[in-house]
Amino acid sequence: MLFAIVPLIVDGLANAALIFFVAVGLTLVFSVLRILNVAHGSFYSIGAYVAASIGLWIISSGLNPWLSFPALLIAAALVAALMGPLIERTLVHWTYGKGEAVQILVTFGLFLILEDLQRIVFGVRSIYADTPMALLGVSEIGGIIYLNYQLLLIGLAVLTLIGLRLFIRHTRQGKLISAVVEDREVSEAMGINTRRIFMMAFTLGVFLAALGGALATPTSGVAPGLGAETMVLAFAVAAIAGLGQVEGAAVAAVIVGVARVLAIYYVPALDAVAPYLVMLVVLLIWPYGLFGTTQSRRI
Amino acid sequence: MLEMRKVTVSIAGVRVLREVSLTLRPGVCTVLIGRNGAGKTTTLRAIMGLVPLVSGEILLEGDALHERPGHARAGLGLGYAPEDRRLIPGFSIEENLLLPALALNLTAAERKRRLDDVYGLLPQLAEMRKRPGGATSGGQGKMVALGRALMVGRKAVLLDEPFQGLAPALALDYARTLAALRREREGLALLITESSPHLLDAIADETLSIERGAIEAEDAAPGAATPGH
Repeated sequence: MLFAIVPLIVDGLANAALIFFVAVGLTLVFSVLRILNVAHGSFYSIGAYVAASIGLWIISSGLNPWLSFPALLIAAALVAALMGPLIERTLVHWTYGKGEAVQILVTFGLFLILEDLQRIVFGVRSIYADTPMALLGVSEIGGIIYLNYQLLLIGLAVLTLIGLRLFIRHTRQGKLISAVVEDREVSEAMGINTRRIFMMAFTLGVFLAALGGALATPTSGVAPGLGAETMVLAFAVAAIAGLGQVEGAAVAAVIVGVARVLAIYYVPALDAVAPYLVMLVVLLIWPYGLFGTTQSRRI
Repeated sequence: MLEMRKVTVSIAGVRVLREVSLTLRPGVCTVLIGRNGAGKTTTLRAIMGLVPLVSGEILLEGDALHERPGHARAGLGLGYAPEDRRLIPGFSIEENLLLPALALNLTAAERKRRLDDVYGLLPQLAEMRKRPGGATSGGQGKMVALGRALMVGRKAVLLDEPFQGLAPALALDYARTLAALRREREGLALLITESSPHLLDAIADETLSIERGAIEAEDAAPGAATPGH
């Protein structure tokens, strides 16, 4: 009985790893820019499409299939570098300091534009590029078979969490970001180019979302609608954690990921609603999320 | 050295500064006195580039400061200590002091030199350098905010109501530190705001009075405080 649950946990953690990348990006962008980017999920699906396209291209042009792994990272970096600064400077930038309704309308508009762009560029058929998963194969531990790619996902998520933490606490840019999160005006007066920090944080958020999408392609493929689905999931995770909590997002992603897999296994009918049931319960008990605190805003 | 010329500022459609002109000179301590809401803080924020000007200009050594972004001020030698301290709570006191040096990307040697300089002037900060910025009392916080402003304020330092809410002993301590600062950095221009003038009689070279967003009387005689509170 106890052993039966282990593969489920691994499955849940692998699921959580993917959600974590998106949710931590969402929460990072929220804590620095103070906007809830409704279009954030689109970067996940765009990352997935780009990664799948590059992956298929590598196979079709007869290159070494192991190149599929760096291709995942390159796909995410490409999406972030091309879209992050551009979208922040041209669109998101106008919503700073505006009301939540304006921010949600603008980013929702962006979401619709990005969804249609994806249909135009990548078509409406599902794309499967599972070379990396096939290459890594499976391993057997205690009579149970695991997909090695899932273990890799969990490892990468943990590394990303540690890396983000080190980046924020111990690097120059990271410290400047923390200062801007606490107090934008004082940061500006102390000589921090807050516009640049905003652009950087937004781009980092895009990168994390696109990386989640790129890493997801080998396990599930890409199809239209992925962005919306992911966005809602990432929002549930961020809400459970409390917006603005990096470590909290990891914990919440694990809760949601495991809840989802347990639901699929034991109560399949609840598969789609499990994350939101968890969110509902958490928010009923802790209205600001597990790790959130009340926000007081200065004028 | 630093000159505001007919600066007008509106915040949310309300005129907060009306054609404010003032000049800061090297080595001169200017005190700006006014009630709450008179426009003292906005004057400092305008100099720091934190509010947009409706009209007027701000010149630093003849160059148009108001055309440059707010974050350029620190690099040009302007230090600013806001009224409510506004330290970064998750940073230690030393990290708070180092923040502007980090923002300007100063070399490690230069950072250390400036930090030692600030610790020399404010030795009490050296003793609590490891403490989190969020765990300081109001008076300690004011000292940290002053030290932080001094890290980059090579030409001018703007202090917003530094004595507001300080216990008498701490206020005296703070005033002594300011006096020491003036001895040590002779060419430094100081702009200090206060709602009551008396504490600053000893160090003010020039006293200006601001009311409803306009600077009223200019009085160059030290100690000649304008009435009102």
